[in-house]
Amino acid sequence: MGRKNTNSLPVTAAGENTGVGVASQSPRPRKTPFILVVTRHGHMGEPVMNYAVNVAERLKYAIFAVHVNTLPFFCDGGRRNRLFASAMEESTAQLMEMARAKGVLVEHLGESGKIGRVVKRLCHSERHIEFVIVDQGIAKEEVATQSPVPVFGVIYTSAKPGQIHTATHHITIKKGVSGMSTTSRKRHMKNCFVFGALTVGLYAAVFSSQSVVMTYFTKGGLYTILPVALVFAVSYVHGNFTSAFWSALGIEGSQATVKKEAEIRKEAPVAADIRKDTRPRAQVSV
Amino acid sequence: MHGPVSEVIQFIDLNAYSIVFLFIVGFIGGLVSGFIGSGGAFVLTPGMMSLGVPGTVAVASNMCHKFPKALVGAIKRYKYGQVDIKLGLIMGLFAEIGVQAGVVLQRHILEKWGQAGSNLYVSFIFVLVLVVVGLFVMRDAVKMKNSVSEVPAPTLAKRLQQIELWPMLTFKTANLRISMWFLVPVALATGMLAATIAVGGFIGVPGLMYIIGATSIVASATELVIAFVMGLGGTLVWAYYGTVDIRLTMLILAGSLFGVQLGAIGTTYVKEYMIKYVMATIMLIVAVSRFFAIPRYLNELQVTSLSPGSVVIMNQLSFGIMCFALLVGAGIILVNLFKARSLEKSMVLQEG
Repeated sequence: MGRKNTNSLPVTAAGENTGVGVASQSPRPRKTPFILVVTRHGHMGEPVMNYAVNVAERLKYAIFAVHVNTLPFFCDGGRRNRLFASAMEESTAQLMEMARAKGVLVEHLGESGKIGRVVKRLCHSERHIEFVIVDQGIAKEEVATQSPVPVFGVIYTSAKPGQIHTATHHITIKKGVSGMSTTSRKRHMKNCFVFGALTVGLYAAVFSSQSVVMTYFTKGGLYTILPVALVFAVSYVHGNFTSAFWSALGIEGSQATVKKEAEIRKEAPVAADIRKDTRPRAQVSV
Repeated sequence: MHGPVSEVIQFIDLNAYSIVFLFIVGFIGGLVSGFIGSGGAFVLTPGMMSLGVPGTVAVASNMCHKFPKALVGAIKRYKYGQVDIKLGLIMGLFAEIGVQAGVVLQRHILEKWGQAGSNLYVSFIFVLVLVVVGLFVMRDAVKMKNSVSEVPAPTLAKRLQQIELWPMLTFKTANLRISMWFLVPVALATGMLAATIAVGGFIGVPGLMYIIGATSIVASATELVIAFVMGLGGTLVWAYYGTVDIRLTMLILAGSLFGVQLGAIGTTYVKEYMIKYVMATIMLIVAVSRFFAIPRYLNELQVTSLSPGSVVIMNQLSFGIMCFALLVGAGIILVNLFKARSLEKSMVLQEG
């Protein structure tokens, strides 16, 4: 996924690159540290903007706000992209208003693609990014694995608009119906229908010609391969179908347990002790 | 077991009852196998025979359904990071040797004491192994459940792991290093039990847990690899003699693959002791079931003189209790799976 220009942005006067809007009219100092604020929504969460502006004011940092369109090729005739762009304009204008009141420098960019990759690329760009703040709806683990700087999440609820919590590492437990994204459920549904149809076809083929099947499959000798090959085929087709079936129903393995086990295994040393190297070594004391 | 089949094989005609019966039993058996690694198929052979399927065809068709089921279960649990493939393959290889040894032993007993003697031996081994191992596993499960701190690895496994006896094998997923000489007896016993009572996992899983030192999650998942290797070997032999009724196999598979997936999913929700608990419960109930089968063989050997009516009742009772064991196991798995899921869901909602 490539970079998406934000030419439609209203403020581009002092932008260095195309698509970069800057709130302040004065050029930024050469080594100003930035807080990278990332959202995947058209409208960045207000608590996120508030928090970013307050922290930037206190630390004397600048804000680098990035709207990432994660579905640039969504098949709806470009409607989603247009809505995203107009929402992004509104959101950026709001952020710049807030920042202007506090005297904080804001640069803005519209991007598209995977958020982790975008953050990685931006962190390695010329701006000196100190840390990243991500809006709700972004998997912090995904960003954290690619980001060279710390990633913070701002958690907020619509019921308590003033309440802001920050967390350096927020684990979102995704499982079953509640956690499954629409795309993955669609994929499971698709697999369910494809492999379900194949399974029905396979079973129908065998049971509609029982006499022929039983004649050859019970001959033994070299014909041994027939039943064995057929059950392998059944295990592939029907196995995929049953897997997709439970997933489509939202019955999936607990991600929390699976992740925990994987982490424990990763961290735990192999039971065998590594033999100590007892050879003499020269040591230098300074 | 793997000998040539000389008689003319009679394959049954399928009807709606037998199709539904095989699908349901397959599903429940698959659910238990996916969860504890084995033990779901023992009802199928007598179940098929009750439908009129000849013994050899029932055993062969059951064997032929076991290995693809184990394969699907192993793949599912591998995705959850629970399977040690290397451990499973090595154990499977030696277990296959154990199967052959078990067959030889069975033949020897058959020649010496006849059919009734052989059956008595099978039932005796069944009851002995299931009671001893089942009680041990149950005691451990209860201890784990009541323990507040983390239960340490079994002492025997720890000691064996410390013995440096060439060749030492390292298993990354199981996170252990042990001499091959301690793996081999467990694998051979698993194979021999599989040849004798058709469920090697009742020795394989406890062996992996208490002798080798794997966790119950890894042990039950790795057992699926062992079952795949053993099942494939057995199927090739049975299919060579043309005894596999592929229709029966496919009907059982239709249900068991649904079950095995669900059983595998269940292992990610429950605590470790739950696998031991389910396994021990099934083992102990099945032991009671086999106990009721013993009088028939004692009667045939003219050790006892029970009336034919009471022998028939005891036989039916034995089969009924066996089905009950499977149902209890499946019930515990389903209840715990859905309870844990709803608990996690409510936690997610609270966090969100």
